Amino acid sequence: MGTLLISCTLNNIYPLLVHSRSSCFAVHKNVSSFFKVWVPLKVQRFSTRVGNSHEGDNKRPNTKQKEQSGKVPHALPKSVFAAGTARKKAEFLKQKWGNDFDKELKGPRKPKENNIPSQPLTAAQWKTLKDDARASHHFEVSMMEKMLAANSDIDVAKSLLAYVAMETGTVSYELLLRYLTLCVHGNHESEVFDVYDIMKKRFKTLETGAYSLFIKGFSRTEKWRECLLLLESIKRVITPSPRNYGYAINGALLHGDSRTAWVLYEEMVEKGLTPNQETWQAFFDSDRSAHDSESKLSSLLLYMRNNQIYPGEALVKSIKAWFESVPGNKWNGSWTTPENSGHCRNCCSSLESIQLTEDEYNQLKEKVMNDVIQGKDVFKKTTPQELESFKSFVKKRPPFDVVIDGLNVANTTSKGNQSETLLEVVSHLAQQNLRLLVLGRKHMLRGSRSWDRKNMSVIQQKADCFFTDNISEDDPFLLYATLHSGNHCKFLSRDLMRDHKACLPDSSTRRLFFKWQRGHQLVLSSYTAGRRIRFETVPKYDTIIQTEENSWHIPYDEDGVERYSYEVPRKWLCLEMKR
Amino acid sequence: MRFLNTQLVNVLRRQCITQTPVLTQREGSWLMTRCLKTLLLPSSPPWRALSTAQRLRKEASQPSTDKLDLDLWKSVMKSGGDSAVVTQAEESAEASPLGAVRELVEMWRQAGKLVPENMTEEELQTLEELSTKSSRKKYLKYLALKEGHKKARKKKQEKKKQERAEDAKGSGEDEEEDGSRMKNTFLLQFWQRSIDALYNWRAAQAMQFGQSLVFDMSYDRYMTRREIENTVSQLLECEGWNRRALDPFHLHFCNLKVEAAYHKELIKRYSGAWDRLLVSATDRPHQEVFPREKLVYLTADSPHVLKTFDHDKVYIVGAMVDKSIQTGLSLANAKRLNLATARLPLDEYLLWDSGAKNLTLDQVIRILLTIKDTGSWEKALRFVPSRKHEGFYKPQQSEHKHWGKAEARRDNSRTQGAFVRHQAFNPKMQQTLLKDSRSGETAGKSKGKKNWWEEED
Repeated sequence: MGTLLISCTLNNIYPLLVHSRSSCFAVHKNVSSFFKVWVPLKVQRFSTRVGNSHEGDNKRPNTKQKEQSGKVPHALPKSVFAAGTARKKAEFLKQKWGNDFDKELKGPRKPKENNIPSQPLTAAQWKTLKDDARASHHFEVSMMEKMLAANSDIDVAKSLLAYVAMETGTVSYELLLRYLTLCVHGNHESEVFDVYDIMKKRFKTLETGAYSLFIKGFSRTEKWRECLLLLESIKRVITPSPRNYGYAINGALLHGDSRTAWVLYEEMVEKGLTPNQETWQAFFDSDRSAHDSESKLSSLLLYMRNNQIYPGEALVKSIKAWFESVPGNKWNGSWTTPENSGHCRNCCSSLESIQLTEDEYNQLKEKVMNDVIQGKDVFKKTTPQELESFKSFVKKRPPFDVVIDGLNVANTTSKGNQSETLLEVVSHLAQQNLRLLVLGRKHMLRGSRSWDRKNMSVIQQKADCFFTDNISEDDPFLLYATLHSGNHCKFLSRDLMRDHKACLPDSSTRRLFFKWQRGHQLVLSSYTAGRRIRFETVPKYDTIIQTEENSWHIPYDEDGVERYSYEVPRKWLCLEMKR
Repeated sequence: MRFLNTQLVNVLRRQCITQTPVLTQREGSWLMTRCLKTLLLPSSPPWRALSTAQRLRKEASQPSTDKLDLDLWKSVMKSGGDSAVVTQAEESAEASPLGAVRELVEMWRQAGKLVPENMTEEELQTLEELSTKSSRKKYLKYLALKEGHKKARKKKQEKKKQERAEDAKGSGEDEEEDGSRMKNTFLLQFWQRSIDALYNWRAAQAMQFGQSLVFDMSYDRYMTRREIENTVSQLLECEGWNRRALDPFHLHFCNLKVEAAYHKELIKRYSGAWDRLLVSATDRPHQEVFPREKLVYLTADSPHVLKTFDHDKVYIVGAMVDKSIQTGLSLANAKRLNLATARLPLDEYLLWDSGAKNLTLDQVIRILLTIKDTGSWEKALRFVPSRKHEGFYKPQQSEHKHWGKAEARRDNSRTQGAFVRHQAFNPKMQQTLLKDSRSGETAGKSKGKKNWWEEED
């Protein structure tokens, strides 16, 4: 157990301690190491209760096993930006507040009457069925929809159509469309062709739904070239969806026309559409035997990198298979997670740093200043006078090491006094000889039950403080001060800054902001008044698809983990070239 | 022979198919149609579907499912050549440059999607300008729902009309004898016209001597077209409530730029009445119209609570509807002009349940009119939609809660009732009473009304 304790702490040393003096290091090491072991256990209990039983149940035996084998247990770092955290939290809160809401939604619903015939009926039989039905005017369409939901036999649908055609002399477009859906989903090629001929004859134009279905239906057949014509028809009224393009590309790839597929792909990207993961997978799968478009495939990976898209598990498996099938058996792929130090556990090469380059940093600084703080209307978040006074305040002081969102930190726990909480965190950081800036609002100085004047004056001794007007926002000031103090400066807040990220004009700046945020945001991970203060680990590496001369590192989304847009995956694929 | 012209032949062919019965009924053309049909349609498709159906019916009457021809519908569909649908689509495509869009809408309708039956050119143009499929579908759904409502309303009106007519028929004789609906009553009956005159008189009085209320119309660039439409609807309602009030406000529409979106929409909705309307509309900003220190901007984001309604201040309401919430927009405007701000004391009186604290314009004006008349927030805040709160705090509780929340303002610790009385005998108020007998009358009226209410309670 002793070895376990030490290895744990060394592994997850909280990054700020690097700055600290050795004396306080010793004090904190004990505190933190004591809780390091307990945290995963707590997590485990919490997750089992929540119902994520697989993870929770597996964790304990795993640690034991590793303990026995003497290996370093690498519990995944707990971070607000790690995939699945938000989902877990939501479930935890749901559990905490009771599941009433959910139950209400799911409540006892009437079982849908399932009166789909199991075999084709005659017209007379259909007629009696229709007369029995409650809403007879919508009978055919709703029946067809039920068949689609139940995935029933196509002959039954045909008999219904025969009945309708006989009764009315025609079949409506809506009904044909539902039947077509049934055919496409059931993979009935010849039926799709027939419906196509009929619809083309009866109707001068079709609508987007029918076109999309036909593209999907045709893509798997010999007549896949028809997809291209259909795609053209869609283009006349609307930009085709990535799915439309995806099926057309699939069709081309299935029939060995990779040139057309690539042309379509480029057209799609040019239109600003984001391709589907299935489309990329099709490219990797189809090229596995031929291996004649290596550069194009690596451009796909770079496209994902540039747009910060993470492949799903299915796609990443295809990518791995493609690399491993490169002639000459050159590549070796393995699943891994990086260490906190930023090294790949598999190949020990270091990953790209999360730190921004000088240029990127300046660009971000300017954009945040212009778009987040000033925006279209300075008055919306602050006033020009206040902004100026804050600017000069920051300029007059030497750069800060940590900027603290006072109100956010003070509200970390519901227990205890707000000013005491803030004071404790501030003195904890001040002990490490860090230059601090605390941002707050003016009402904190007025003195009240939760904002004790004494505490506030101690805070003001230990750190620089700036209090904004009660009606101004404090987050933009936090960002400004942090960015202005230079690349080493971090900020402390639980806020994910999503609303501020959304103020940024283009997606590339937003990605830059997110990268900077992951590398510079401290989050209190556990806090108990008077006893422990711990922060989440700040990663040293950037989670993005990356390549070097003879390696690829690809973070991917595991199946079963719901990743929110402000989170990054934890699992990686490491591809290295054999020497 | 003009008959040889292919286009004409086509047209005639279509006519024959769709309108044969009509044509045959017409005298004179009867023979010609017959000849034409035999000439042009040797296989006469319209009858073909019918005949297959007959054949099918015979087959269907046989009970065995083995003989059921599952693909019969295909032959039926294939044989029924060019249908009316095709002609319709063709014609519309030729008619306008927006043909492709119109066709799409038509096909979406046939596919059972929620789209309107009739669209104007303007609507089609807007539709074409929308770039994504989902935005187009949303817009069409909106139009379809609007169309549906319109139809339902018309139907209802007609039904009522019919009922009324029947009623009149039923009791027609008695009424005629009595002399059209004149009843013997000691109450004086008014014509709607004279009531309107009264309302206008009051509004005119308010415009001369009453308290001003400003609608800030500077938000058009923050709103979508539909939001502006909604805003103007709410403004119409506001004007209505104000007109019918006992002591109306003098409404000012400030920052109203001529030919801007607001202005156009207002003129469209009021049509001719806009010029006769008893409100002050100006393109000047409110800070120029009124002395700055008299202005108070009402905004939900304000840190200050409106505790007492001051009859001397000019309150400003931002004329804006934000479907996607835009926080702090009106507060920013007030900050820029350095105006006093206030929010309604919602939290102080109501157990807030859920929902944003912004209210529609008509709710705001009804609250303001009531507080002006009665001085009681309990009465005024009844116009806050009840879905947003769980009710009022109990009387004693409300005082504690009220003053407990607004920290450290001891000077305001008197009770609500006392405040009302104080307000009524406000020296400033008395000054105005002295200064002007007319406004004094109205103020007196409102006071009288208040007392009457209190006695009732």
